[in-house]
Amino acid sequence: MSQAEHPFAALLAEYVAECLPLAEDVAERVVALERGWRDGTDTGDLARPLKGTLHTIKGNSAMMGLVGLQTLAHRLEDLWGALLGDQPGRDAGVGLLVRGAGLLADLVRATATAPPADDVAAAFIEEVDAYLAAEAGAREPAREERRSPDRRATDRRQTRAVGEIGADGAVTTIRVESQRLDALLETFGEVMIAQAGLRDAIRQRGRRSGGDPAQLERAMLGLDRTLKRLEQDLMETRLLPISTVFTRFTRLVRDLAHGEGKEVRLEVAGGETRLDKTVIDRLGEPLVHLLTNAVIHGIETPDERTARGKPAEATITLRAVQRSDRVILTVTDDGRGLDPDAILRKARALGHAPAHESPSRAEIFALAFLPGLSTRDTVSHLSGRGVGLDVVASSIRALSGNVAVGSEPGRGTTFSLRLPLTVAVLRALLVEVGTERYAVPLADVAETVRVAPGMLHQVVRQGMMTWRGEVIPVLDGGRLLGGTASGARACCVVLRSAGERHRGLLVDALLGHQEVVVKALDPALGRPPAVAAATILGDGRVACILDSGRVADGWIEPVATLAS
Amino acid sequence: MTDSILDFAAQLDVAPAAPVAAERELHLVVFRLDREEYGVPIDVVREVVRVTDITRVPHAPAHIRGVMNLRGRILPVVEIRSRLGLAPAEVTPASRVVVVEVAGRLLGLLVDAVGQVARVGERQVAAPPDEVRTAGADAVTGVARMGQRLLVLLDLSRALSAFSPSTVPVS
Repeated sequence: MSQAEHPFAALLAEYVAECLPLAEDVAERVVALERGWRDGTDTGDLARPLKGTLHTIKGNSAMMGLVGLQTLAHRLEDLWGALLGDQPGRDAGVGLLVRGAGLLADLVRATATAPPADDVAAAFIEEVDAYLAAEAGAREPAREERRSPDRRATDRRQTRAVGEIGADGAVTTIRVESQRLDALLETFGEVMIAQAGLRDAIRQRGRRSGGDPAQLERAMLGLDRTLKRLEQDLMETRLLPISTVFTRFTRLVRDLAHGEGKEVRLEVAGGETRLDKTVIDRLGEPLVHLLTNAVIHGIETPDERTARGKPAEATITLRAVQRSDRVILTVTDDGRGLDPDAILRKARALGHAPAHESPSRAEIFALAFLPGLSTRDTVSHLSGRGVGLDVVASSIRALSGNVAVGSEPGRGTTFSLRLPLTVAVLRALLVEVGTERYAVPLADVAETVRVAPGMLHQVVRQGMMTWRGEVIPVLDGGRLLGGTASGARACCVVLRSAGERHRGLLVDALLGHQEVVVKALDPALGRPPAVAAATILGDGRVACILDSGRVADGWIEPVATLAS
Repeated sequence: MTDSILDFAAQLDVAPAAPVAAERELHLVVFRLDREEYGVPIDVVREVVRVTDITRVPHAPAHIRGVMNLRGRILPVVEIRSRLGLAPAEVTPASRVVVVEVAGRLLGLLVDAVGQVARVGERQVAAPPDEVRTAGADAVTGVARMGQRLLVLLDLSRALSAFSPSTVPVS
């Protein structure tokens, strides 16, 4: 808000767009350097660009009159210079450098909404000055980087702030290579030509009664094809490398691990994988939750690990890989793993008993995403600062993705997130309920079934049917959606939830599937429970997109049982 | 297709003006609900369009008729009749959707018909009479007399304030 009022709002946005990647790069490098220096490996490649990058940030900040940031970058340069010699007491200085680089990145990011005050980093700069003075003076061994209990408390607070920034550090500017724009313009030219062709065909048809219907069809097909390409090109411009979210995690994991007295290394792979800006923006928060959970609850203390014959330093791997039109993200730790018995016990206590007596391990782990399940008293791994896995699951589902977990007790846990490349366009199944049409995201559809007589049963006012040997609840689409007209309910769409739970939805007809452009609903419509968004169909009419994940989860009260 | 606001601008010239010395004038878009005429300030009205298909949104708040396609944009359509305590009516060929901008958002008001743009001198506006005791009385800011006709002035931000998500109206 304050950004809009700032006279240099546009310039500030540009400043953040340029400096944030630089600051994040610095933050990431110094963490790697700290490790390299400790392990005694060659760090030349990491170290060389640092001074130049800090200098650029300093210069840009000065240009924008951001004195606080300018001073901070300047002091970090000094600190960096002082650390180049391998003197005693360097560890403390490196600790300072890591903190300072993190602070710098946070402040640059915060500048997007409110430029920081000039003395914003005063306390930190004082610490640096004290350190530098001590170094230059007696060259006595500087204070050891031992953390007293109260220091640790402040560190915790800092790491929490990192998480919050991760949650809403949305990218507001996209840099697009000019070749991409050229390609876009070129495709647009083709659209204009195709449109002219269509206009021609229509005109000829009007002139000579009838004309050549095939010509009209050809022109229409041509326009369709080029529009499709235009959409593709346009979508391309919105794709960003996933490293934009990954970079800040190196520091998050390091800070968390320090605070917990654990040794954790974060390995990142596939950072160049590209995803839609919207997906990237909304991915930070669930990933922060998963990483925080892994560090705090998944990973054992170094002593515990050594006792179990594992290396004292734990590894968390964050990996992205593209599979056709999806991106698979995995968060893997080599910690203590999940306890299936504890999950099953808690699920039973909450009344979420699995459908059959001896559920497989995968089925049990799927239960962990149910609301209320991942709490501290059941599975220590799954608790985490009041955020349950159900929250992670619902934010991933809001992106039309899904999440699953696998675990080997004692060996570690892997969360896999399947995400669409874009959320602007969705493949959907169109269904008819009464006189109304709805779009069901195809990602949530397990199967469609034609309803045969005797297939549906009514058990204590709840519709049920057997599907692939599983008894699943069935909802009547008309009742769920509150329409007035009744219909044949000839088809059943089997929906699947993130936890691989299934639920049938009775509809009157299937109208085929197509790609639909997702349009958000105006807040004036409230948050209708069964509808996620809307789209405009080929005939110009609006159709609602069902929130099928929520319907499948049974989050919608069973107001919609079978017609009696 | 669309009755552009420009049509109204053209009508402005022919509408009877009543220039009284230094009196401020209200420019109002006039629409009809049942037999009553209502006016909303012209500067909140973006355009007036014919009613195309309105899609019902399941479990939407009361007073929301549905959504329609406004040139590729999803426009919520408000059943302003029920907001003002009138029974909902059928859509007829005369029905229109008045597209208004309130608090930065576009909303459509489903009305029975749209008339001309009227200019009303501020002195012709009286406080709403005590008889106005409909459900939507809080949204009525005054009554203007135009010759024999009576024009009910609406405060849209008040009439539509109920549509912020936190205060979904309970019918």
